Amino acid sequence: MNEQKHIREEMEKTLESLNGIQRAAANPYLFTRIEARLEKEERSFWSRALTFISRPSVAVPAIVLTILINTAIFFEFKSEKVQTPQDEEQVFASEYNLSDNTIYESTIEPE
Amino acid sequence: MDEQFLIEKLRQGDEAAFREIVETWKNLVYNTALGILQSAEDAEDVTQEVFVQVFESIKTFKAESKLSTWLYRITVSKALDHLRRKKRKKRFAFIQSLFGAGGETVIEKPDFNHPGIVLDNKERAAILFKAIDRLPENQKIAFTLHKVEGLSYQEISDVMKTSVSSVESLMHRAKNNLKKLLHDHYQNKD
Repeated sequence: MNEQKHIREEMEKTLESLNGIQRAAANPYLFTRIEARLEKEERSFWSRALTFISRPSVAVPAIVLTILINTAIFFEFKSEKVQTPQDEEQVFASEYNLSDNTIYESTIEPE
Repeated sequence: MDEQFLIEKLRQGDEAAFREIVETWKNLVYNTALGILQSAEDAEDVTQEVFVQVFESIKTFKAESKLSTWLYRITVSKALDHLRRKKRKKRFAFIQSLFGAGGETVIEKPDFNHPGIVLDNKERAAILFKAIDRLPENQKIAFTLHKVEGLSYQEISDVMKTSVSSVESLMHRAKNNLKKLLHDHYQNKD
């Protein structure tokens, strides 16, 4: 019984031990250190750029955009009519007026 | 200098304004970080990080709340990030030690003595800080801001972006948990 009372008293005293606490003082040279840190960060531009790119809010939309562009390009090419070698021959023939297969027959008049 | 004027000057990149902000609020930031992290070295590191962020993101500060409230928010967030990083490292080192890899040895955290505690209370305060360190994050933040920084429940609710009744509830649970932890401590001691 007495032991429990003693424990309770100790607990209460300990809980009150932060009463009247004073604010701890920061390093007097803090500003100089912060300045040095800012300069160092400025120098490492590329590391900041990487940090920016790796942010989920930047990286995720960038990946989605890349996927969308790729998908759009894929379907665009797929829907275009694919020219067969035969088509190419016909284009070539019409360009050089070679579409007439019986060229000799058409120029030589039958007697 | 007026707070709003200082913010405007800093937005324009004025170094003197930045120095003034650092000098005015450095103890507030350091003491808060020290209360949460319970390590002078880590608190100094976080204090620097806080002011670097202030310098870099002052343009996004909308001045809807006081500058001190904004500083408290950044400090709490940075301090919690720091704690999580440390815990991750500690866990990793522990796993490494299990597999016999040459990881860092896990060292038990030494007792923390806050420099602002009166000499008579040093020993008791160290026991209390050890117990605070075992509280869940939200309870730890509310209790530290109230007891170490002397903030009212209203101010804590502004910092934590929650209602006053939530802060009251957090404080109530924090005190109950601390009582249990202290009870165990003194029972095992005797």
